[in-house]
Amino acid sequence: MPYFAGIDIGSTAIKIVLIDENEAIVGQRVAGSGSMFYKYAKENLQQLTKDLGIGMEEIAYIVSTGYGRKLFKEADETISEITANAVGARKAGEKFGTIRTIINIGGQDSKAIGLDEEGNVVNFAMNDRCAAGTGKFLDVAAAKLEIDVEELGEYHFRASGTPLAINSTCAVFAESEIIGLLGNEHSREDIVAGIHFSIAKRIIRLAKKVGLNDVIYFDGGPALNAGLVAAIEDELGRELAIPDYPQITTALGAALLAKEGHGYAAG
Amino acid sequence: MTHSEQPAKIQRRQRKVEDPKARHRRHEAMEAVKMLDNLRHNFANPPTSMTYFYDLFERVYCQGEKIHTGKPMVGTLCIQIPYEVIYALDAVPVRLCNGFHTDEQSGGEFMPAKSCSLVKATLGMLKQRDIPAVDKLDFMIHPTTCDQKTKAISLIEEMEYEVYHMEFPRVKESEESREYWRRTVRKFTKDLSRSLGRKITRKKLKEAITRVGKAQVAYHRLNELRKLDPVPILGKDVFLITNAFFFDEIERWTQKVHAVCDEVERRAREGFNAAGKRSPRILYTGSPPIFPNLKLPYMIEQADGVIVADESCSANRLFNDMVSVDEWFLYDMVDAVADRYLKGCTCPIFTKNDDRKRRLAELAEQYNVDGVVYQSFAGCQVYEMEQRSIQQEMERLGIPMLYVETDYSPGQGGQLSTRIEAFIESLKVRKRRQNHSKEEA
Repeated sequence: MPYFAGIDIGSTAIKIVLIDENEAIVGQRVAGSGSMFYKYAKENLQQLTKDLGIGMEEIAYIVSTGYGRKLFKEADETISEITANAVGARKAGEKFGTIRTIINIGGQDSKAIGLDEEGNVVNFAMNDRCAAGTGKFLDVAAAKLEIDVEELGEYHFRASGTPLAINSTCAVFAESEIIGLLGNEHSREDIVAGIHFSIAKRIIRLAKKVGLNDVIYFDGGPALNAGLVAAIEDELGRELAIPDYPQITTALGAALLAKEGHGYAAG
Repeated sequence: MTHSEQPAKIQRRQRKVEDPKARHRRHEAMEAVKMLDNLRHNFANPPTSMTYFYDLFERVYCQGEKIHTGKPMVGTLCIQIPYEVIYALDAVPVRLCNGFHTDEQSGGEFMPAKSCSLVKATLGMLKQRDIPAVDKLDFMIHPTTCDQKTKAISLIEEMEYEVYHMEFPRVKESEESREYWRRTVRKFTKDLSRSLGRKITRKKLKEAITRVGKAQVAYHRLNELRKLDPVPILGKDVFLITNAFFFDEIERWTQKVHAVCDEVERRAREGFNAAGKRSPRILYTGSPPIFPNLKLPYMIEQADGVIVADESCSANRLFNDMVSVDEWFLYDMVDAVADRYLKGCTCPIFTKNDDRKRRLAELAEQYNVDGVVYQSFAGCQVYEMEQRSIQQEMERLGIPMLYVETDYSPGQGGQLSTRIEAFIESLKVRKRRQNHSKEEA
């Protein structure tokens, strides 16, 4: 049976999804991108097939996407993460109804994608200022607060005072702002909540450019941070639709496109 | 190979999304806490008696505390509303003019892009029906002062507020305008009294005049201290004190201002200098800095300038003249109150505004000022237009002036602070040269 692979090589993590002919996910994997995107992506794909007892030759078509997509030479096709994200979101978010707006926060960028009724990309907007409001931004902030990124959610909900916004869009300047706030004896919790609200405001501003319609869907690694999710929901004044595995939607989209690409290639 | 694993599954948390009112509250709180942080922590040795004011702002704007309960609340949308009359009717005036960027943005939908930040922000706040310090409004008064405020009345009425229009003349010197304004205030006194179902008496008005007068005395005392060299209190603290007058309980406010004066006087006797060794003394004028939009005063003092005097409707103009008369008849007293508001006003809406020039010249001399910073909110035409004549007047007096156009956005930071720093530096150089030539002579 042929399988189709989607590989999303992001700045922080490599995400791999393997699907079968029926578009069912048969395997998935997340690994750090590290310094050698290509090597790690290849090794992880091999490991995944090995774990699943599938031969590499059974993978009929590979589509790579993400920031490092061009580095993956074995790919039959490369596709931008915008398209892959839209395709993956339509599938992963089926249960939420018609998704018209996607918010995605990645390791080093954040974007909003507007979709039409059929799920085609009609417009999109990306952050144009370095790491502002991205996963990296959260990493930097967490490190400065001396807490784990995974703990950010809990800290958010424990906050009892006024959230302290971070005005700097630059992660480097934000660092010194955080130091200043700690110096003024504000709690880590209030600072974490403030960081989340600052990111939320920024991403909503972006999303407004593509329009906030129907179901608003949120994915990317930072969607695992319940505090950030709450902040975006509070700023929006409505609930977000989030898939069960928000990190792999784009890889899933690539896998679906691999199946489609294979169909075309086969003729 | 790097560490790899199965993708993480999200853990959704059962919770309710914030409602619009809570969101608005949070937005204001988040803005307020940052400015308070700046004012509180970024300067050395604030007077300990200022803690009351820092905490007051935190309580009202961050924790949503309502200060007044029980009494009828009268919202005012300009400084030209006679507080004495409101107090005489045992009601409490609360100034509604707003300084929040978040409200400026939400109020922006009602106004043309290039219009006054203050009016936009006030509309934005009223739209949310969430007024700091008070839980309800029993009466709202709007004077027909500047064009933007005047036109905002109908927008506020569209939000289903009942607004009392108070007609205000545009000419100050004429006898006609004086009579016009007196009639407005007399009518207002009757209307407010009827609306609140309370009778105004001569005794009550006299008491109210005294109460406001006592607040003025305290404020005058504070401002006298700013004449000292070295200056024992920073302008940012005085702005905060003035802003607190908008909503604080007046007797407590008066008492707390005296407490600050006591401490500052004590410090002054010990030769305490609140500013730097060479800090130029700044006179601030123009569009009013309303909390938390104390961006410009904050920048000036962060740049080592020190604001020793101010002339704006949210600063010293608030207390210009005192009603000292004790007329025999109630409505003669009301006239006296009316006069204080018209005559003392140096708002740029007046056709001819030589009083403002005179006032600024006077302040510059009395407070030994090295430079003037003139702020105009982008879109505030009257302040923008009057800038020219004030600039000329300052040139005549040989006092450098910096003109800045701002709004409530925090993003203006970098460029604006560079301009201010450069201005302050140039004043320092100028001062040093002057001292030099004095010594040589």
